[in-house]
Amino acid sequence: MILVKRTAPRSDPERSENLFLELYELAKAAGYRPVGELTQTRFPDSKYQLGRGKIEELAELVERTGAEKVIFYNKLSTTQLYNISELCRCQVIDRFQLILEIFAKRAVTYRSKLQVELARLRYELPRARAVVSLLKKEERAGFMGLGDYEDSYEQDLKKRISRIETELASAEKDDEALRAFRHRQGFSLISLAGYTNAGKSTLFNTLVDESTEARNMLFTTLVPMTRALDLGGRKALLTDTVGFIEELPHWMVDAFKSTLDGIFLSDLILLVVDVSEDPETILQKLTTCHDTLWDKIQGVPVITVLNKTDLLSPEELETRLEEIGYLAPNPIQVSAKDGAGIAELKAGIIGHLPPWETCSLSLPNSEKGMSVLSWLYEEGIVHGVEYGERILVDYEARAEVINRARALEQALGD
Amino acid sequence: MWDIIAADISGRHRIKGGYYMVCAAAALTVSADHVEKVKQVKILPRWLDYPPKLLDVVQLIEDTADQLSFEGMVVTEKGDMYNEPKWVPESMFSRPFKYQESIAERRAIELVHHISLSARNLLIKELEIEA
Repeated sequence: MILVKRTAPRSDPERSENLFLELYELAKAAGYRPVGELTQTRFPDSKYQLGRGKIEELAELVERTGAEKVIFYNKLSTTQLYNISELCRCQVIDRFQLILEIFAKRAVTYRSKLQVELARLRYELPRARAVVSLLKKEERAGFMGLGDYEDSYEQDLKKRISRIETELASAEKDDEALRAFRHRQGFSLISLAGYTNAGKSTLFNTLVDESTEARNMLFTTLVPMTRALDLGGRKALLTDTVGFIEELPHWMVDAFKSTLDGIFLSDLILLVVDVSEDPETILQKLTTCHDTLWDKIQGVPVITVLNKTDLLSPEELETRLEEIGYLAPNPIQVSAKDGAGIAELKAGIIGHLPPWETCSLSLPNSEKGMSVLSWLYEEGIVHGVEYGERILVDYEARAEVINRARALEQALGD
Repeated sequence: MWDIIAADISGRHRIKGGYYMVCAAAALTVSADHVEKVKQVKILPRWLDYPPKLLDVVQLIEDTADQLSFEGMVVTEKGDMYNEPKWVPESMFSRPFKYQESIAERRAIELVHHISLSARNLLIKELEIEA
């Protein structure tokens, strides 16, 4: 496989280099082995994206290395795809198709497969007419060549899209009901968000003592995973989700809406950042995360988890924090790998969750009183119980649970 | 917390006879994810007979920010500066400049966007400008 990138003139060379490196990582995550790379700085060419000479050079490179695929960083139009593959005589894809390929490989559940298919169809739809007319340019459909291939293919895509959308919409309703149920049960919903390969799954494993697959690879997690998190008596559910990536097109964000809603509609977001990277990269990745989150979270508190602190010295950490401070709300330093800072993180999580109230209750020492006590244990934290003529309980829970407990106390007292 | 001046321009499209633009600038204090305080807001309309260039946009934002009694880094959307790399508009401004990055900065831009858009609509109606 050969990687190709066109860089716009006057763009930042360091940033360009980082984006190219990211493309390399994406290709590796998709299971490709790069055998060559090619870059050019110029404004886009409408026919080939790069200049004609550079594309001929690419064709020679393909022939010499025997590459089976060419991956472009830049978005390619249908005509460009067709022209380049005609010259190179191999399959040509762009970055979005590459991401779709990775997603398709990782999709294991029925819903994630639907989401990937929806993203693929939305990518294909605006190109459908052009693709068909390019492939069938010598051939006309129907009696006397008066028919049209283009329309029927486009219609097929639209029908399939609407069918998948209906199915995903019903899944979203199920999610909504589940969220409401979990809230009613007193669970606080916490989600891990962050750029891809920031260490979300490793942190998830450390926090909930699980063994979810965590690898040094982009998009390891595609299907969200939720587990109970112990916060010293408070019940919380932690969800590990798909990572963000720069310049993710809106149709892809839309396709994964039901997965991303898990992040946007939680009570607290843990924004995970790999703090061992260079400051410019961290800022770029944080900007991407803020861009994805800002208009979808309605006042949900965000804790920035500065992960991989074990790779930096305390002085380096301090400078790094100063440099990225304006993009890192409520920063907490942790190392998910060796567990450093996890206690501080848990304390930070408790501090940012919706507040609980405390009260003292007096229940009759009877069967009914005991059954209320057992309900209290389920709904909140019982700090102390004294058994005498009456049961005295020192209690902490959500406001609505406290109100209900007081009503029960009064009803039993009467 | 940081002091910023969020700015946005509405009306860079042609209407009858020229371009009627309204710039809104707000002096705010922001944290990484919240607008903590809105200290002052100013608007400035401008009529141009020719399509606005980057320098005209920068000048309009500078003039609007000059009316504010507070200092701060000017923050705008990238699209307002014709998607130029940061160093291009930065070299034209007399005060510190950056594109929006954090959640709070994006919320601030959203706020001034609504102000400039509503102010322009109101002025067009009140001054009976043919749009």
